[in-house]
Amino acid sequence: MNDEKKICPTPPDAEPTATRSTVPMWIFSLTLVLVYLGAVYFDHHGGWFDAKVYGPYSSADELDSYQPKSGAAAALARGKQLFEMNCGICHGVDGLGKPNIAPPLAGSEWVKAKGVQRLTHIPLTGLTGTLRVEGQSWNLSMAAMGAALPDTDLAAVLTYIRSSWGNGMGPVTADDVKAARAAIGGHPQPMSGEQMMKMPE
Amino acid sequence: MKSGFRVFLAAFIALGASWCGLVLAPVLQLGTAKQTAILNSSDTYPIQRTGDATLGLQVYRANGCAACHTEQIQQSGVVFDVVLTGAGKNPVAVSNLVSGLKLTGLTKDEADGTSAKIAAAGGKVETHLIPTGADISRGWGIRRSVATDYLYDYPVQLGSLRIGPDLADIGARLGNADWQLQHLYAPQSVVKNSAMPPFRFLFQVEKIGDAPSPDALNLPAEFAPPAGYKVVPTTDAKNLAAYLLSLRADVPLYEAPFTPPVAEKK
Repeated sequence: MNDEKKICPTPPDAEPTATRSTVPMWIFSLTLVLVYLGAVYFDHHGGWFDAKVYGPYSSADELDSYQPKSGAAAALARGKQLFEMNCGICHGVDGLGKPNIAPPLAGSEWVKAKGVQRLTHIPLTGLTGTLRVEGQSWNLSMAAMGAALPDTDLAAVLTYIRSSWGNGMGPVTADDVKAARAAIGGHPQPMSGEQMMKMPE
Repeated sequence: MKSGFRVFLAAFIALGASWCGLVLAPVLQLGTAKQTAILNSSDTYPIQRTGDATLGLQVYRANGCAACHTEQIQQSGVVFDVVLTGAGKNPVAVSNLVSGLKLTGLTKDEADGTSAKIAAAGGKVETHLIPTGADISRGWGIRRSVATDYLYDYPVQLGSLRIGPDLADIGARLGNADWQLQHLYAPQSVVKNSAMPPFRFLFQVEKIGDAPSPDALNLPAEFAPPAGYKVVPTTDAKNLAAYLLSLRADVPLYEAPFTPPVAEKK
């Protein structure tokens, strides 16, 4: 009887209490590994909560790479976007121009010319002085709005202008823009209407 | 109850967190959604429904169509097809090269590689993006449904059970109002063994009078009313048909790109 009492130090009718014991290290490590794998999976497949990214696409970059980037339709879409951003404020997104601000592009003989050399020079050098458009004189100045655009983008804008609003003319290529840039040289001055008329179409 | 405030706080945080995740975050992300531009086009999508189609959504809702039909196309992936559009100056070399290459069902990288090879040989190619998935191979749509598709739906009739086919693209698939009306009156007259119940209460059986009735259904003998009678759709039926025809998730968007099949035929 005495021996048994020594083995059980607390009285048998006492409330059992929880003791502080440490979490086994393997559970801790496993949790960390699972959290890490989950984070990696989310990074690869979650799209980072982007409202434009739906499954099965896993990221905005992947979706971006699937957008059509080549072809005439894509170039026109790009040209329209750039036109509305750079030119539309003055010339109007409908290409009809605005009185005392900018002449129309729709139906303009400068746009519908057979060659594209004059048209390509306008956004690269800018304009100053009198210019006749569709039988009306415009005495305004235009900055070299297109000089900062890359060749392909400026070509896309000009192609959009030439093909829209019933103009129905052929495209302007990046090579046309490149050639015009080379002809103009480093520090272009705004050209006048007479200077423009001296240049071949 | 000495810890009442703490219980309140814990419940408040738990409910507040789920409200933030399930209500606030979606509203912040998509609450200001507007019409978007269709890829490679100056058109916007979706267009506002006509009045009869807007009313038709309420008929769709009132008749519980969403209990058996979904309006959501699923997509499991995309494949790329390389399409030869021109043989260039050396057609023999290009055709020899193309005959040895896999041109369909490629990944983006494979398609780029194949395009580069053919372009190097002088051929002109286009890469077509084609969504894949069980719903798409069933012919229920071209691409997955995205939030923009539901811009003018209120309430959105997503549905969760597919006793009938998905309807997200039904207007593009079966864009004939007469077909839709006949199908509503007698589903089995156009789709044999259809499980759909007839919605005859959306129609009126009238005696054929002196005035001609352009709306009367042209039913096969088995489903036709007795001689001397005609079946005329009510306004509800016409609105519902207009709503079904307005369901057209068939344009490429930034978030769900694809190469339109029309371009393939060119």
